[in-house]
Amino acid sequence: MIIVNNRDKLEWKNGMTVRDVLSAMGHVYPLITVTVNEELVEEEDYDTRKVPDNSSISVFHLAHGG
Amino acid sequence: MATQKIKLNINGNEIEVVKNTTLLDAIKKTGITVPTLCHHKDLTPDGSCRLCSVEIELDGKREIVTSCNYPIRNEIRVDTDSIRVKKHRKVLAEMYLGRWPNVPAIQEVASMCGATDKERFKSELTDTNPNACILCGKCKRACEEFIQEKILDFAGSGIDRHITMPFGEVDPHCVGCTSCAYVCPTGAIQIADDVNNPVDPELIRERGMRVNAEMATLDPYQCRMREVGTANIVEVMDAYDLLPVMNYKFGKHEDTHKIDSKMMKKHYFTQGQPDQCWHGCSMACAKAVDGFKLKTGPYKGDRVCVDGPEYETAAGGANMGCFNLDFIVEFNFYCDTYGIDTISMATTMAFVMECYENGVITKEHTGGLELNFGACDAVLECMHQMAKGSGFGKDVGQGIRWLKQKWIRDYNAPADFLNDIGMENKGLEYSEYMTKESLAQQAGYALAVKGPQHDEAWLIFIDLVNNQIPTFEDKAEALYYFPLFRTWFGLQGLCKIVWNDVSPADNKKYPPQEAAKIPGHVENYWKFFEGMTGIPLDEEKMLDQSARVHNLQKMIGLMLGRNSWKEDIPPYRAVGPVTAQEYESRQERYDKQIMENIKLDPDTISTEDKIQKLREYRMDQYKKVAQAAYKRRGWDEFGIPTAERLKELGIDKPELLEIIELARKNVEPK
Repeated sequence: MIIVNNRDKLEWKNGMTVRDVLSAMGHVYPLITVTVNEELVEEEDYDTRKVPDNSSISVFHLAHGG
Repeated sequence: MATQKIKLNINGNEIEVVKNTTLLDAIKKTGITVPTLCHHKDLTPDGSCRLCSVEIELDGKREIVTSCNYPIRNEIRVDTDSIRVKKHRKVLAEMYLGRWPNVPAIQEVASMCGATDKERFKSELTDTNPNACILCGKCKRACEEFIQEKILDFAGSGIDRHITMPFGEVDPHCVGCTSCAYVCPTGAIQIADDVNNPVDPELIRERGMRVNAEMATLDPYQCRMREVGTANIVEVMDAYDLLPVMNYKFGKHEDTHKIDSKMMKKHYFTQGQPDQCWHGCSMACAKAVDGFKLKTGPYKGDRVCVDGPEYETAAGGANMGCFNLDFIVEFNFYCDTYGIDTISMATTMAFVMECYENGVITKEHTGGLELNFGACDAVLECMHQMAKGSGFGKDVGQGIRWLKQKWIRDYNAPADFLNDIGMENKGLEYSEYMTKESLAQQAGYALAVKGPQHDEAWLIFIDLVNNQIPTFEDKAEALYYFPLFRTWFGLQGLCKIVWNDVSPADNKKYPPQEAAKIPGHVENYWKFFEGMTGIPLDEEKMLDQSARVHNLQKMIGLMLGRNSWKEDIPPYRAVGPVTAQEYESRQERYDKQIMENIKLDPDTISTEDKIQKLREYRMDQYKKVAQAAYKRRGWDEFGIPTAERLKELGIDKPELLEIIELARKNVEPK
């Protein structure tokens, strides 16, 4: 199990990447910052960066509009 | 599509870069410097000066390429400093030196290339002016890419080649952004005049250029403001269940794709260049539709130009259940033509439609108009009546608060239901965001002094999606900072869009609480203020400036008998589900809250009971966050500024103290 934004739970799968987490959460926003266990992940690494089980992931959406 | 990475060897060092990275950027990553003249980090590489040339080896074949515009697509070996490369660069540098011997930028690059002979290529073309134009073309590209204009270009050919405006005349399309002068490496382009006599024009220009560069390099991958303007938010809000649909009952709809920015771009938008609403601004967020044929009203059959639609107008369509862009564009046109706010109009109509569908009003009251959700033609007819001051439209024009009062008084309408679903606060209609699941946004709207206008606090993502302000105190802090920041730049007459509709590349370096403020852009505003006035600002000074005005606004409201604590309570539709249909549309979320927060088993109670329990819980939460926000703002439990706070801000004048004392004396009990 992994935790997203200190609240949402997501079932962990073997080989899960950051991109998989974003897809599963429906996070399609253009302005996001992702950390896995407090380590920043650059967008170019979303497809290759593996997410370990029991990770804490932060998907920070920078508000625009409004 | 997965990001592809490619390995390459630069001067013997292995590195890995994302496919299509330019060779120059890859070289820079290794810490190696290569001379450049026509290159600018924020402009499309040109390769015209050829000084950045390096030698590469691909499949055993060696060749010299310009590194600035060479995209890495294969594994290659690179030599930045081979004998062949050095000789090539030195000859080029001597040629530049022969033509422009006294230009410091040329001298510098020549020195890097070991070129010192000014005589070798001396000719009748030699220009001894130290500020001579060296034909690097940066100004031309800056104009095209920063501003999307073509004010500057090369003219002539061969030895007559030069930079000019069309026909050598001043072009009225120039927006005065000064980008060309900023990127000019020699001073050949000079700024002749600084309007408004700023104290430090260079400081303002430097900050403005940062925004220009971000718009050119980042906006296409971020919010696409140049491409579709604020309309980009339509699909974002729908994806996150935050788009107001059918009087804020729902947050998404299967037909949203019919009114999203992709559809607007494909079939409607025809204009998108800078409209100079802010002199020199490069964002070009305003969009327009040309040649639109109107189907109704006094201009029926005419082809017109329509300014928009922006997000709020399109979202207003969703709120009325009208997922039809032809309608939204016509609605937009007539709102503008009649001088009606698209937000207030859409939100009022959404309320009217829900009342119509629930039998609160009938065709008898509407003069025959069938005002179900999605009734595009009836909305337009209502608006034309409003403009003429006749029929049912005349009543609608009075707004939701007035309609509620009339229908309760004259039609014996159910007051509780109307007060729950009438999306107004302090007499102003809500703007187009669905706030039910974000406590901070509920308070952002309802605690706004002027009414629920999103420019005081827009905290949905920070609160609901990021879960970044979980406690009441966290939310109160956000409800202190953001309204005051936004009030502050509104007071300076500055636009909001360049704050957070493009984000600096390095914003990720900040922790989330700071990142949400976009510190680099907040500093841009302070530096603009400092450049104009000479007065340096920091966060504390800015917030104090703003808080003085914010408290004065609040006191003026109190003096006029408005802005009591009761007026800070939102209609329940803004807080939670009013109807069973709404509850069931998000049953999983609401049942979870009933189980985890209210400690009841949702399977054992009826939907009506669950709605009631949820209402009690959510309204209690709202009151707690409002109290925390009052406290942080230096207001008492009734939302009235304290004498201590006025003293702190230096506005404890006797006449103002009198207002707050009177308000406290007349406060309505809770």
